[in-house]
Amino acid sequence: MPFSALSRASCHAFGRGALLLGVSLLAHQAAAQTAASAPPAPPSPASGDQAGEPGQWTGWLKRDTLLGDAWGIRTKLGNYGINIGLTDANEVFGNVTGGMRKGWVGEGLTMLTVGLDTDKAFGWEGGKFNISAMNIRGRSLSQWYIGNLQTNSGIAATPTTRLWEIWFQQSFFNDKFDIRLGQQSIDQEFMTSEGSAYFLNTMMGWPMFPSANLYAGGPAYPLSSLGVRLRAKPGGGFTILGGVFQDNPPGGPFDDDGQLRGSTRWGGNFNLRTGALVIGEVQYAVNQPEDGQMDTPGTRRGLPGTYKLGFWYDSAGFPNQRYDAAGISLASPYSTGVANLQRPNFSFYGVVDQTVWQPADSSDPRAIGVFARAMGGPGNVNLISYSLNTGVTFKGFIPGRDDDVFGIGYGLANVSYGARGLDQDMRYFSGTPMPIRASESFVEVTYQAAVTPWWVVQPDFQYVWTPAGGVINPYNPAKRIGNAAIFGVRSTITF
Amino acid sequence: MSLHHSLLAVLLAAPLLAPAAQAQPKGLLETVKRHSVLGSTVADNGDQNPYALVVAPVSAGTIQKDDVLITNFNNAGNLQGVGSTIMRFTPATRKMALFAKIPRTLAGCPGGVGLTTAMTMLSSGWVIVGSTPSKDGTTATRGDGCLIVLDANGNVASVLAGPTINGPWGNMATIDRGTTATIFVSMAGFDIGAPEEDSPVVEKSTVLRLDLSIAPGRPPAVTKQTVIASGFGAQADKDVFLVGPTGLALAPDNSVLYVSDAIGNRITAIADPATRADSAGTGTEVTKDGMLKRPLAITLAPNGHLLVMNGLNGQVVELDPKTGQQIYARWIDPNRAQNPPGSGDLFGIAMTPAGDGFYFVMDEVNMLALAK
Repeated sequence: MPFSALSRASCHAFGRGALLLGVSLLAHQAAAQTAASAPPAPPSPASGDQAGEPGQWTGWLKRDTLLGDAWGIRTKLGNYGINIGLTDANEVFGNVTGGMRKGWVGEGLTMLTVGLDTDKAFGWEGGKFNISAMNIRGRSLSQWYIGNLQTNSGIAATPTTRLWEIWFQQSFFNDKFDIRLGQQSIDQEFMTSEGSAYFLNTMMGWPMFPSANLYAGGPAYPLSSLGVRLRAKPGGGFTILGGVFQDNPPGGPFDDDGQLRGSTRWGGNFNLRTGALVIGEVQYAVNQPEDGQMDTPGTRRGLPGTYKLGFWYDSAGFPNQRYDAAGISLASPYSTGVANLQRPNFSFYGVVDQTVWQPADSSDPRAIGVFARAMGGPGNVNLISYSLNTGVTFKGFIPGRDDDVFGIGYGLANVSYGARGLDQDMRYFSGTPMPIRASESFVEVTYQAAVTPWWVVQPDFQYVWTPAGGVINPYNPAKRIGNAAIFGVRSTITF
Repeated sequence: MSLHHSLLAVLLAAPLLAPAAQAQPKGLLETVKRHSVLGSTVADNGDQNPYALVVAPVSAGTIQKDDVLITNFNNAGNLQGVGSTIMRFTPATRKMALFAKIPRTLAGCPGGVGLTTAMTMLSSGWVIVGSTPSKDGTTATRGDGCLIVLDANGNVASVLAGPTINGPWGNMATIDRGTTATIFVSMAGFDIGAPEEDSPVVEKSTVLRLDLSIAPGRPPAVTKQTVIASGFGAQADKDVFLVGPTGLALAPDNSVLYVSDAIGNRITAIADPATRADSAGTGTEVTKDGMLKRPLAITLAPNGHLLVMNGLNGQVVELDPKTGQQIYARWIDPNRAQNPPGSGDLFGIAMTPAGDGFYFVMDEVNMLALAK
């Protein structure tokens, strides 16, 4: 007999005492036990209480993904250790003044990621397999309308549909050490800044220095390279990252590194024929607890921060920005016009992310953080000799909007002395007052609004000074490209 | 030996004894060597968000002695108060398996089934688990809930519900005598409404004592029930469903019941919990604030100290309940994805049978872990 039915039979079996409350159901179970010799029938599923049971769309505005369990698909795949991520970003950007010309563009990126937990799948502990693919569409405002180096959108790229990353990661020693093998996009782990990641400008993601100077911008979105990456967490707040990767995702010459070159178009170029990119990074987390760390009463932890120092070395030959193999300026009529290939190329970099304010009440999620990221390398073989990103972010800027972030950022790209020397030579040999490139900088003001946990809308403004360092506007050769004011908005949905 | 010589001997020996005295651990947490992730607690129906932890005192049915039982509070869609599964982890084989899948709607359980941190297993093999259910993942559709009695094979045997049972929430304390038992459950559901931006604190939560008799072959039957503590604050919460009294732990001689008052950010003590016939109110304050950050499940270590799981960071706090001294805290989930690290990640805790470590759950990744 269902217990609920028993409960209505008698409600006075016991209940003495001032605080013997709510006796009805409990009393009846006791009464039933003494009265009957056979065990009571267990309660049955209540057929009449099904109304309002949660379905596919219950609570959809509050969950992390639009589709949630996706009609049970995620659970079924999860039982085999498979997880699927799907995000779709779309944006509109336009420059209202300056640039090569005024105009508006729409761009989009759809990213599919499939992960496999090998422990769940077949009992292999500590293993993860990851494969991702993307569809890129639209065209770049910077490329078509502005002409700046520090392109306005981190998702803008040559339209295509391609595989992206394919790697296996194995962790050891309770996750103190792991190794990742396969086709990787190193911007996912190296040179990252938590603060700059809120911004939309490309260089707030994968920075200007490697973007401009490595073959095809290096193994970073939307490309990837074969390689191996090691990570160790020795304790004391330190994390050490190191890796060796093929340095040239499309595998072409420096001046022909198109993202659609051959099998790079669909992500099937697993090139191993060109140079090696060796990269290392030491990360130090301050005021951030470690696993197992002990605190005593009165322990006061300062504001958290992360500091990173890194370097990379590329074994390939890089074209001298000014001279050919005979040491003659490329601008000279006596030059072969083929830049001297010099090796190696390298860079040092540093990244700072530091929280500078958060309320004393630890449950208050608001926080103000600053970030800075700087890097540089030899000016003879690099178009950009150093680049910088810096800025400030304010999480919970608007009261009640705990997950929104307001940010103001700045970026600087300095044209190298090699490239400037070539400009001077061009002016000399051509006899025309051609501009000498200097630096390009921008300011970005952005607001990342978490409309729901799975839908982020981000209005954005950028202003660019001396696009490309100050070059002639191809649509108006009498002038340099003017300073550009860019407005845009991005919508990102996580399915 | 003369007094003079005795004093001299003590003075000479003091430097030798001092290092040994200093080497004595102040508590359990500093003796923990490592944290190990044992396995995913996600059920095959997608239920997630592990809450309660109970170590099986006996082998019975599908349960092996020392198995760890784990409730899931959320369903596959990550809706709170909708989870209806109990997982079973066997330390010897390191295997996680489903122990029970309870129907979401159960006759006699008002509002349905959403399994909380309230769970115990008796030496007679019966498992008793609390339900604070919802239809939409929030307290807006909360039912009063119930206590569900399962046999050792995970089958529902009976349901306990009634006016005194409303939102059975926190980890249970148990006195198990074989044919009789006494369980203590915190009830955090009384008059809790829908979550608001700043939901009111309702000071109506109680600790209910249920005296049970267990006849052979029959599920435990309530012989007496007494509200032994009342007036604790509870609050609907848009992120964590509700905040209310969560942890219960008995002193070794059962003379005191310790309660974690999450809203008050303190631990209180209820005297004579097994015998008192009235409510002690919220009891006597043992300790407040300090390293406590929304105390949730608690357990008593063999050294007599309380281990308290923090809800607002990834720490477990060790304190001496006799003196109220907070000794130290250990970061067992310093996940930097949350702010402060590990916030919202911890909930249940259970000592290992040997008392040399403790199991805990990592909600954010749906994992069972062992600190030992």
